[in-house]
Amino acid sequence: MTTSLTDRYLTATLRSVPAPRREEIATELRASIADMIEGRTADGQDAAGAEREVLNELGDPAQLAARYADRRLQLIGPAYYLVWQRLLIVLLSIVPAIVGVVVGVVTATTSDNPGNAIGAGVSTAFNVAVQIAFWVTAVFAVMERLGTPLNLPEWNVDQLPDEPVERDIKLIDACASIVFLVLTIAFLPWQQFQTVIGDGDRLPILDPALWASWIPVFLAVLVASIGLEIAKYRAHRWTWPLVGVNALLNLAFAVPAIWLLRDDRLLNPAFVDRFAWLRDGGLDIVARISVVVIIVVTVWDVIDSVIKARRAAR
Amino acid sequence: MGSDDVLRTHLQELRRGTVVVASLVALRRPDYGYALLQRLTGHGFPVDANTLYPLLRRLEEQGLLTSEWNTEESRPRKFYRTSEAGEQALDRMLDDLAAVQTSLATLIEGAPR
Repeated sequence: MTTSLTDRYLTATLRSVPAPRREEIATELRASIADMIEGRTADGQDAAGAEREVLNELGDPAQLAARYADRRLQLIGPAYYLVWQRLLIVLLSIVPAIVGVVVGVVTATTSDNPGNAIGAGVSTAFNVAVQIAFWVTAVFAVMERLGTPLNLPEWNVDQLPDEPVERDIKLIDACASIVFLVLTIAFLPWQQFQTVIGDGDRLPILDPALWASWIPVFLAVLVASIGLEIAKYRAHRWTWPLVGVNALLNLAFAVPAIWLLRDDRLLNPAFVDRFAWLRDGGLDIVARISVVVIIVVTVWDVIDSVIKARRAAR
Repeated sequence: MGSDDVLRTHLQELRRGTVVVASLVALRRPDYGYALLQRLTGHGFPVDANTLYPLLRRLEEQGLLTSEWNTEESRPRKFYRTSEAGEQALDRMLDDLAAVQTSLATLIEGAPR
């Protein structure tokens, strides 16, 4: 006897049905299929066509088997989904960044190529993220299969988030911005006296002549930016006057910086001379990239403040 | 999702539980899978074969149905019959169905149109 479609269908269905009941289900299902075919041939249909129709009606064998085994066709069901989602978000927002930074810093101390360090950090962070996503999902999928109870406390109103968006400007964001600005201010005098080149030589990175012209302007803009951060924090949100001041400060920093970069007046000529790469055209590339970065950052910062002010104004 | 699909989903939800009730009532007279399918369809309970066959096994495992193999006819068939426990469960379910019907009726009466 050649293997009929029904035989193949039964084999495919019984493959994923628990073994102890396989025989019985097989006998019953075979009889049911035969009954269904008979019902159709009695209406004058040919046997082969009836068999095809019946099996098509019964549908995907894997799905039928899942129904026999009372198995849900889902990777992670509603009982576990929210816990899985929250855990994944928490882990993904913390662990890859930390591991990436640590690896990047460690690589930076052993290699003199900053590109290597950044590359190592980014690729490690990515790998860690993929691993976390896979293993967390795998563990939850197994729990779903085993029906492991989670024993989590029932949700109640005490778990509501504290204040619903009372404050758009978070303290931690304001502090981070101010720390960054202070570091930038400190960098200006530091680079003048402490930049070590080669054998203990010290050379300012920026043109010292700028101390008499533009560096005080930059310092003033940076100090004013700290004031802006404080004002923004006290206002709780972006307001239109703050947006205007922010745009002005951005322009007051970006325009002179771009102009100085274009005219090769920003960097110390003696500093440039010490590096063959900078001297032979590298300076031009550095200037161009810096100009693009400054424009992008400035434009984005202004757009971002406008978006947030509009949202807060609603 | 069109409004037809929405309606179909709601109707399916409404029908889902009634297949169990209908099967328990019908199987007061013992029957095998395909014959039960025909009877239910004939009485206005259209049910897919791939839903009914696994459902019968599940109800048997839950003790609401008992089964017996009949080997006298051309092919061996498994006959299911509503068990004592199934009868008790059925009573509860029919009561509940009636309660839903009554509640709905009073709600419809009381609600201004």
